[in-house]
Formats: sequence, C-alpha cells, structure tokens
Amino acid sequence: MGKYSKIKTIIAHEYISKVKTKGFLIGTILGPLGIVALLGIIVYISMSFGDTSKKLAIVDNEGSIYTELVKKDSALYYKSSKGVDALKKELQDENIDGYVIIPEDILEKGKVSVYTGGGGGLGLISSLEDNLTSIVRVKRLERLGTDASVIDLIRQEVTVETNKITETGEIEEDDTKAMAYVGYGLGFAMYFLVFIYGSFVSRGVIEEKSNRIIEVLASSARPFEIMMGKVIGIGLVGLTQIIFWLLLGFGLLTILGPLIFGDPESLKTMTDMAEAQGGGMASQTQGMSIPGVDFTLILGFLFYFILGYFTYATFFAGVGAAVDNEQDAAQLQLPITLPIILAIMITPQIMNNPDSTLAVVLSIVPLTSPLIMIVRIAATNVPIIEIAASIAALIGFFFFAVWVSAKIYRIGILMTGKKPKFSDLIKWIRTA
Amino acid sequence: MQNQSNAPVIEVKNVKKQFGDYFANNDISLQVESGTIFGLLGPNGAGKTTLIRMINNIYMPDAGTITIFGQPVSDDTQNQVAYLPEERGLYKKQKVIDQLIYFAQLKGVEKAVAKKRAEMWLIRFDAASWANKKIQDLSKGMAQKVQFISTLLHDPKLLILDEPFSGFDPINAELLKEVILELKAQGKTIILSTHVMEQVEQMCNDICLINKGKVILQGNVRDIKKSFGRDTILLEFEGDAGFITENPMLKVVNKTTQRLELKIVDSTFDSKAFLNELNQKLEVYKYELVEPSFHEIFIQSVKGNEVEIG
Repeated sequence: MGKYSKIKTIIAHEYISKVKTKGFLIGTILGPLGIVALLGIIVYISMSFGDTSKKLAIVDNEGSIYTELVKKDSALYYKSSKGVDALKKELQDENIDGYVIIPEDILEKGKVSVYTGGGGGLGLISSLEDNLTSIVRVKRLERLGTDASVIDLIRQEVTVETNKITETGEIEEDDTKAMAYVGYGLGFAMYFLVFIYGSFVSRGVIEEKSNRIIEVLASSARPFEIMMGKVIGIGLVGLTQIIFWLLLGFGLLTILGPLIFGDPESLKTMTDMAEAQGGGMASQTQGMSIPGVDFTLILGFLFYFILGYFTYATFFAGVGAAVDNEQDAAQLQLPITLPIILAIMITPQIMNNPDSTLAVVLSIVPLTSPLIMIVRIAATNVPIIEIAASIAALIGFFFFAVWVSAKIYRIGILMTGKKPKFSDLIKWIRTA
Repeated sequence: MQNQSNAPVIEVKNVKKQFGDYFANNDISLQVESGTIFGLLGPNGAGKTTLIRMINNIYMPDAGTITIFGQPVSDDTQNQVAYLPEERGLYKKQKVIDQLIYFAQLKGVEKAVAKKRAEMWLIRFDAASWANKKIQDLSKGMAQKVQFISTLLHDPKLLILDEPFSGFDPINAELLKEVILELKAQGKTIILSTHVMEQVEQMCNDICLINKGKVILQGNVRDIKKSFGRDTILLEFEGDAGFITENPMLKVVNKTTQRLELKIVDSTFDSKAFLNELNQKLEVYKYELVEPSFHEIFIQSVKGNEVEIG
C-alpha cells in the first residue's frame, strides 16, 4: 500500500469522526445564529454610543436655548434651576455627568462652557457642539428677521446618493455601505472559522500526543502524512459546514426573500426611507440583502478560507505537537495569532477606507490577508493585481508553514516532559 | 520470503542513535530468528524504546542498518510489523470497532476485512459486546485488550510487544500468553520487551540485554543460563537461618521468611558439608543446586556492567 492511501485513510478518519459528533451538528445549526447574535450585539453597542445613559444639566441664562436642546435629545439634556455651586456638588457626588452654562450672550459670542467630572468622551462634546451650533444658527437667523422658508432651507441636510458606473458603462445604485457591512460580517466569519477549525487541529494533535496514540500512528504512517491528513480532514469538515450554510442561505433567500421584502421596488423604497432618516446602523444592515447573491464574493470567501485555514491550521498542528496541553499551545501560537487578531481589530477602519495604503498592504501580507482581503473585496473594487499578489503571498506562506510545522511536528510528537521554549522550536526547525 | 526459515527476521547492525549529547543506542547489533520469541531486556532508559522505534521506522538510525525480512526499514516494512507500545493510546471518544478498523486501515487492510477480523478477535478475547462502546467507557484492562487486538488485524509477520501483560489480571494474562504462543506456533516472530523475568524464562527463545545503549548480554535463554553454571542454591526451610548470611562463601540474592536464594561466590565451597550443617540446624524442606534465575542474571549483568563502565 502506498502512502497515498494512508493519507487518504487519515483524512477520511478525521473527517468522519468529526462530522459524526453532536458538536458538529450543534455548531452547524447554532453557528450562524451565534454570528448573527454577535454582530447584533456589536451593532447594538455601536448604536447605543449616541444616547448613552449620560445626563447633562443645562443652566440656560439666555432663556430660549434649552427648549430647543431638549427637542434634539431629551434623554441627554435636562433643565436645572439649581445654582452653580449646587451643580458642582451634584457632579462631585456623581449624580450628574456634567452641566452646561449657556451665557446670555451666546447668540453674539457663540461660546458655551461645559463642566464634567473629566472624560465623558469626544462623542458627548461633539454632539453638544453640533446641537448648539444648529440651534444658535437658526436663532441668529430668526433674530435677523429671516423668512421662515429660508430657515427651513438651511435646516435641510444633504443626502448623498451613491452611484457607481459598472464596467459596461451603466450606472447602478451603489451599495457601498451595505457591502461594507457584508464585508465586516464576512471578515468576522472568516476570523471565527479559521480560529475554530485551527484550534480543532491543535487540539487533535495534542490529544494524540498526550494519549500516546501518536506512537501507534507513527508506526503506521509518516509524521507528515499524519499531520497533513489531520489538517486536510478537519479543513474538509469546515468546508462542509460553510457549504451547508451557503445552501441554507440560498434556500432561505429564495423561499423567504420575496415574502419578507416583497418585490424589489418596495424593497428599494424601504431602504431609501431608511437612508433618508439619517440611517442608523440597523437600517443599513437591512440593506444587506439588496446586493443579492454575489458569487465573486462567495467564491472569494471560500478561497480565502481555504488558504487562511490551511496556513493557520498547519502552524497550529506544528505547535500542538510541541506541547502537552492547550494552554502551552496558546502561548506558543501567539506570534501567529496576533496578526489575525490585529486584523479583526482594524476591520472597521478597513471598511471605512478600503483603498488606503494600510488596507492594501494588510490585504497582501499573509496571515492578515484572508480576513482583510475579503473585507476589501466586499467593500470596494480590488484591482486584480492586488488579489493575485495576495494569493501568491499566501500560497507561498502556506508552503513555508508546512515546511516549518513538519519539522516541529516530527520532533515534537514524541517529545514529552518539559515544555519547549520558542528558541527550542527554532532549534528543531534548524536541526530536523 | 523465499528462505524465510534461515534468514533472520530482523537484523540490526552497528546501529547508533544520538539525542543531543546522549547516546540512546550506541553500536547495537542483534538478530532475531524467524518464528521465535525474542526478549528485548534492559533497565529503564537503556535504549529499548529507541531501538523499537527505529525498527518501526519512527526514528532513523544515525549510523548502522536495520533490515526486516531482508529489506531496509521503510514505509513498506511498516505494514508487516505490529507494535504495541508500552504506553497505550486509544481515542477516548471513539467506538472500539471504529478504532480497530482505523488502525488496521492505516496498516493497509481493506475496511471490510478489518471489520471481520476485528469482530473475530473481539470474540476470541471475550469482548464482542464492547464493539460499540467508547473507549472512555471501558476499564483499563478492557482497553488493554482492545489495544492488543489492534496490533493483530493486519496479520503481521512480526509483532513487537512492549510490556504486553501490564494491566491484565491473572486470568486475562493467561489468555494473552496463550494467544502469543499461538501466534508463535503459526510461525510469527515476536519481540517481547518486559521487566518480568519469569515471562522471559517461560516464553523467550533468545534474549538481548541492553544497558546504557549497549548490548551487554545476548543469546539463547538456555545457553545463557547454562553458561552461568549451577551456582545457585534454592533453599526452603524452617528455623533461624541467621548463620547462613554470615557464610562468606555465599551471597544472599533473594530472601523471604522460609525461602532463600543463595549464590556461591567462592569456588572452594563444599555443597555437601553445607547441607549437613543445614540439616543439623534447620528443618530443610528443599535444597536445590540450580542455574541462576533470569532475575538474578539481569541484576548481575547490569550491575557488573555499571562497575565496568565505572
């Protein structure tokens, strides 16, 4: 029997024994719910940045500003008739977050003082500034006897309708915003999937090592086949799960889509309305279904998942072989897990500015590229040359991962006792 | 496999294996004849496991050669060898039958064949009812049986068993011994690594004793015992035997309340006179002049070797 059939046996074993577990079934069903819930929490948190639970007391010496302020945000502002000293005391007792003194001559000088217990955040100050600026502007115009219709005109804000010109020259409604959020979601999914499946690999390797199964395996197949068989087998489990989700998604969209959103026209009006309202995140995420099914994006996601997973999982296998338990593994994995953690942290910036130099660089550098590139592909038109460079770099890096991990694995799996240091791993790579 | 009867199953020639500055195997040579049980002996850390791993193609020797059935050790020879490591390992969450099939498949056996053989052996070991149980639900002894069965499913010509009896109760140990002897009768070759010297005397044809990476004693079990001569007295008695320990010509090698194993350390020792003395002072039930036990040979050889090395 050749080694080809042995690696096949190992792959099949890894695949079947994983897919047969209850955990896989539960993960497949609950996974998407989990990600949706998580995104929901994030959206909720970022939305609730605006209102917060903060309270600002307003001492209105001018007299007419307060009413307007409350109209802007009744939760944040309230009128106080107390004196400055009493407010100071309340602030110190932390009953209020701050107080604003509006001077009589605000309309002339345009200056207001706010007192807080320190901090309060930039958001608080800038919303106060925005609110007061627009109130003062209107008041000044009114004082000059400006016609109400003119004031109305000034009050109106501009809505930017985004359009994009396709390669064939047609003008389409641009879904940049919605797609940016799709990218965010995909980036998140990528992060979790690579991590979850990567850690399945390292956990599996550690199990075989600490339960001494490896000795039997090593007497039957080569370490390289055992390692790659596991990486490939578990990778196939991941793909199975993703493809299942995609099919489920298509199915739901085809069956339920029209029921929920009705015909495309009403769908459009709905989003237009949402945009007109000033567009909280919720209305934008609703727009996610508008782009429809983008096959390039799905293929891109699958492709980058495969490359990203294989690179990370291979490293994880190598590191798993070097240690006896998962805590030690996490430590040694840090140099390779940091980049992807960094990537998920700066994803919001990438979303906002998908063509910046930073975004371009991180979408080409291996380890961050699977996540950042998928965000960019969703959010912007990535030049084909950048995608090619990113793929080439990632594939190259994958082979490097295989080379390094195979060496660590070969020595590590039969090494027990003291926990190796990072320098030991380097030595193994050199000597093996 | 043409001249199987004559050619050695395993031939280890001048094998060296070094880990860092440490020589796990330092110039080891040995031969294992077909159809025999070969005892691979040595104290802990002597280098047995390293040698076994090299025979299994897990490690590569730094120098020297190892051939199995005339072929150098390789991926191909792996499928002809069975290995029961001292530290057993099974997937805790998998079913017995699935695991047996997997290990057999890894040795190149078709799934259907593996399943059939697994079922057959489970019956033989009175374990058929566990086939669908997970390993974590089995007792240690049951898991040991499963592990042993897993070594048999590819019908190996050579079995390497490292402490195969550990974890077995006397009844199951007897069953295991029976199976091992049966395998030998079928013409299979078995390497038995054990610390239990009685098993060596009962089962092995040849042995090789390794200490500190070197062979210090090897050959046929009978011949080795003979070469030590009848220099040991087995004594069973009743009474106070304190005076014996003061005899400078004898060394006590094993002592219980009513039983003594004595080694004759002076060639001028007069056995008849000693027996007379014993009969006067003690109630003697048994007096036997024998070859030393393997237990004693083991200790003497290893200790002597350490003295030599200094």
